[in-house]
Amino acid sequence: MSELRTPHAGDDMAEDDDVVALLMRQHGDIRNLFDEVEAATGEERRDAFRRLVRLLAVHETAEEEVVHPFARKGFPGGEQVVKDRLAEEKAAKETLAALDELDTDDPTFMPQLLKLRRDVQEHARAEERYEFTHIRRSADVTGLAAMAKAIKAAEAMAPTRPHPGVESGAKNMALGPVAALMDRTKDTVRKAMGKG
Amino acid sequence: MTFNPLEQRGIPLDRQLRSWRELNVDPIDPDHCDPYTRCRIITMNGIEVEAILFSHQLARHTPDPEIKRQLARVRYIEAQQQKVVNWLLPGVSSVLETTIAYEQVAVDLTAWVARMEPDPYLKQAYQFGVLEDFDHLYRYANLYEMIEHRKAESIVDNLTEVMPGRPTRFHHRDPVDNVRDPYAKDETNPLSKLHALTIMSAEQQTMNFYMNTGPTYMEPIARQLYQEIGLIEEEHVTHYESLVDPGETWWEQLVNHEYNECYLYYSFMEQESDPKVKAIWELHLNMELEHLHAACDLMRRHDGRDPASVLAPELPDVLTFEPNKGYLRELLDTQMDLTTLGAGYVREAHERFERMQEQIHGGEAPPSDRVMTEHDEMFGREYRVQTEGEHPDPAQREK
Repeated sequence: MSELRTPHAGDDMAEDDDVVALLMRQHGDIRNLFDEVEAATGEERRDAFRRLVRLLAVHETAEEEVVHPFARKGFPGGEQVVKDRLAEEKAAKETLAALDELDTDDPTFMPQLLKLRRDVQEHARAEERYEFTHIRRSADVTGLAAMAKAIKAAEAMAPTRPHPGVESGAKNMALGPVAALMDRTKDTVRKAMGKG
Repeated sequence: MTFNPLEQRGIPLDRQLRSWRELNVDPIDPDHCDPYTRCRIITMNGIEVEAILFSHQLARHTPDPEIKRQLARVRYIEAQQQKVVNWLLPGVSSVLETTIAYEQVAVDLTAWVARMEPDPYLKQAYQFGVLEDFDHLYRYANLYEMIEHRKAESIVDNLTEVMPGRPTRFHHRDPVDNVRDPYAKDETNPLSKLHALTIMSAEQQTMNFYMNTGPTYMEPIARQLYQEIGLIEEEHVTHYESLVDPGETWWEQLVNHEYNECYLYYSFMEQESDPKVKAIWELHLNMELEHLHAACDLMRRHDGRDPASVLAPELPDVLTFEPNKGYLRELLDTQMDLTTLGAGYVREAHERFERMQEQIHGGEAPPSDRVMTEHDEMFGREYRVQTEGEHPDPAQREK
């Protein structure tokens, strides 16, 4: 891989006035992090995996709080589409929770990670094809922008990049377990959506 | 050991039909596959699509119902082969991801053919064309990072470099300048016929793919870039199909098609790294051998000629997917500023070329330039993969 780094969604210079474009980039960021975890070993892998877990938690929670509620009411059949996505998310979260218990050097870590990767990728494409297309069609420009803003707020509260200087370990631990992170993301998103 | 398809028998035609269970193949893993496995799949899909379309055209020009029925039988099997081959591509890949793989095929397949082509005029046609596919790869790679935040190297895996080729805006030539001179069927090396058919089929499938998937994008720049490059694929199909001698009879063309399929399945079977995919190449080779024999019988019956008289005495060296970085850098260094005039090549922008350029661009930057501007606005840089150092042409180095 080259030295070029693709910044995370929200950190590039895109206008971020379209929630679908933002989430599609975030799907790529997640896929990139899977690549990083697979390519790394030892401490580096541990660190990349912590970042992956955080990004996944924040991303999925933000989707559940922002785009799924819109999709549910926004277009005919939305209810069922969201139900299918939630079932995929639930399965992925279970694998994620199981993985989170393991050390990244554990021999069973990699096969489980690859399974999670497949599930997450299928889920992401299903969202893009069966949910996002309808959102773009049925939301107006203001709606797309408001949802994008809420997603970015979630991002900001749970930074998913390593902090220069503070090497990841300690700082990352400070973010706490996945469940707590998801709760805090929920609160932040609700505030940004004006539902406090 | 040399492999002579004319002397081998395969699976009898009446035992080639596959059930749904057999057609339901496992797709490759887009994040862990050998990039050249994906290239071989895309190539063979293009070859099968051409086989099907050619057979349909032949049937439409055949009054004899018995021959129509025979063509229909073989064509149905070829349609099953196309389904198996193309369904090896995974549903989780995006159109853009597959597009980048199509361009990797165009670059490494055309470069390899250019290297091996014995006829200098044909060689020049491939050298000219490959620098355009090379530039398309670069433009799509930048679009890919914008839309999906993914780097094209996660697809091409550093086997193929990603950097500017002949700039896409210059690919729009007056259509008459896309028509080449054909080889002479009775004098040319039989390998040249296979090369022309292979590249024509690959470019034709790329044209089909872009013309149908381009409008599935919602992002304006993506829609526009597919339109622009899609029109260049029209030029490329014109360019390559005109290399084939139109004096070949229908039956002779049919034999060439079937022989080429044997050649390519054999080549890919020899080098395939994925055992499940390798088994498919082997199975399809064994089917194609019978298709070839059936085509040979038709040629003997209707042309009264021996097919061996138009084919190679033995199968040529296997067609290989491998990096062509050094060769491409040589071409980038020497052939960037070429365009076509009539059936030849020139370095100056002639009147007809200038007129076409003025009309199609209408004084504005084409999508292929705007994608770079928009990418720069988003990332403050370009996306390139230059594993072998700086661009050979100083004018094309990143500022």
